[in-house]
Amino acid sequence: MENRWFAYLIPPFLITLVLVAGSQYVFIENSFYEDLGLGRTGNEFTLVNYFNFFTDPFYMQTFWVTIKVSALATFFTLFLGFPIAYVIARMKSRIAMLLLAGIVVSTFVTIVIKVFGLIIIFSANGILNTTLLELGLIDRAYSIIGTQEGVVVGLMHFTIGFSVLLLYSVVITVPPSLEYAAQIHGASRWRVYQRVIIPLCVPGFVVGGLMIFNMCMGAFTSAALLGGGRVLTLPVLIQRTVMMEVRYSTAASIAFVLLISVILINLISLMAIRRFRSARLVIA
Amino acid sequence: MQSRIEKFILFLWCGFSFVFLLSPMVVVMGASLHGGEFSAAIKFPPTDPSFQWYTKIPWQQFEAFGLSFLVATVATFLAALIAIPAALGLVRSNFKLKFLVSSVFRAPLQIPAIVSGIAFLQLYYLLFDNSNIMLAGTIPGMLIGHMFIATPFMFGTIVAVLQRFDRRLEEASYSLGAGKWRTLRRVTLPAIMPGIYSGGLYAFMVSFSDVPMSIFLTAPGFVTYPVELFYALENDFDPSILASSSLVIVFCLIMLLVVQKVVGLETLLRSGGGSAR
Repeated sequence: MENRWFAYLIPPFLITLVLVAGSQYVFIENSFYEDLGLGRTGNEFTLVNYFNFFTDPFYMQTFWVTIKVSALATFFTLFLGFPIAYVIARMKSRIAMLLLAGIVVSTFVTIVIKVFGLIIIFSANGILNTTLLELGLIDRAYSIIGTQEGVVVGLMHFTIGFSVLLLYSVVITVPPSLEYAAQIHGASRWRVYQRVIIPLCVPGFVVGGLMIFNMCMGAFTSAALLGGGRVLTLPVLIQRTVMMEVRYSTAASIAFVLLISVILINLISLMAIRRFRSARLVIA
Repeated sequence: MQSRIEKFILFLWCGFSFVFLLSPMVVVMGASLHGGEFSAAIKFPPTDPSFQWYTKIPWQQFEAFGLSFLVATVATFLAALIAIPAALGLVRSNFKLKFLVSSVFRAPLQIPAIVSGIAFLQLYYLLFDNSNIMLAGTIPGMLIGHMFIATPFMFGTIVAVLQRFDRRLEEASYSLGAGKWRTLRRVTLPAIMPGIYSGGLYAFMVSFSDVPMSIFLTAPGFVTYPVELFYALENDFDPSILASSSLVIVFCLIMLLVVQKVVGLETLLRSGGGSAR
């Protein structure tokens, strides 16, 4: 009986394995040959691309900026996502459905369109600046397009829909009865948050935060458009190295560094999942 | 059991998040209605509203939309062909390295899309060198790439549904005389359908809105809609892209209504659309 199900597994597994291993192998191997520019590579196996990456301050700067904007975006996304997730999980009302519909639409609409809207809002002569100027709150127009703040806002839009779904699955692991029990025993609402809800949610937040951080590290579209060529993150740098400089093996080595960082973060979150009970429920 | 102050704080906090979340789409749709002459500044709120830009959408953008739609539909179908048997096989068989097999199916999600993009481009070049088959810039090449990034979404949601599936339903079916195939077709598949629908929806949307993978696999005259829009934003801005973006947002709203009618929005939450990622 069980063998029949195992047979189902084999063809899809082989196809996926070929695609995963094949594609990854080709580019990783490519990264170990010296880049001679214009798509040509040397014939000898060498670590020179990696040596260049880790000794060039420009690349290291890009690496650091990627980590910085991803960390900031993760923090703010969790901050904005939590109340929505909490309301959807706890209140079975019209409002909760409306919030959910908004989240789903925002997840579905391609990030390019959202970035387009952000550019309209935040550009120097966009609505935010004109409104603030008219109200006299600022004395000159500020633009976040082409700054790290802009990239952070873009990354937040990229991840917030997902973060709400993720936080939702954390919040529903805390049964409402625990909240009632604490209140019956005389805890104030604030104390319920402080001593019941938040401690039980924190492990899930940590794991979810790592997943979102991972998404941000690999996010290309929003970082490219809102960075406007002035803020570079690793994904943007990879695309530029391929499309503008046609240096495939350099790009491959940057991509491999990015891949390894992301895998390391995944391993950390896996270990975290093993440690925390409520974090495990996020995945199950 | 929530106090009034707490409700108020939650309300404000949610409101702020929501304005942040939805304002870009509202602004794009609003600005597309601008009726005056095109100037460098996009007008929002629109003055003198009209649909003039909707009549000026270049044919190229409709073609790009058509290509995106075609690729997303077929890639979702292909992803289902891989994910359904994979999820059934994985959840129901018992062997030691199950964890590893599962992570191979989920791997495309962990790999940043831009890395997959460059990896597939180089894989296609290698294939071209060895066999003269060029996949980069063709529909099959695009489909393989999109199937690759879409599969984990279907796999994740179907696994989540299967793990809660009551096997006794199948035993009942067997004992009532149904064969293996009949049971699969009449009992198992209908039961996991919500998972297939919501996973399929995620797969479709991921493929439909993808930039980092597609940008490497497009060719001149062969561009998906998000990539077309990406280049338009990077280089030559034209207000007609406001109009076509608004049409895409409307398309997504229609998808949302379809989901609500067919499976209900809560299914997206319960089937673990989030945890699939």
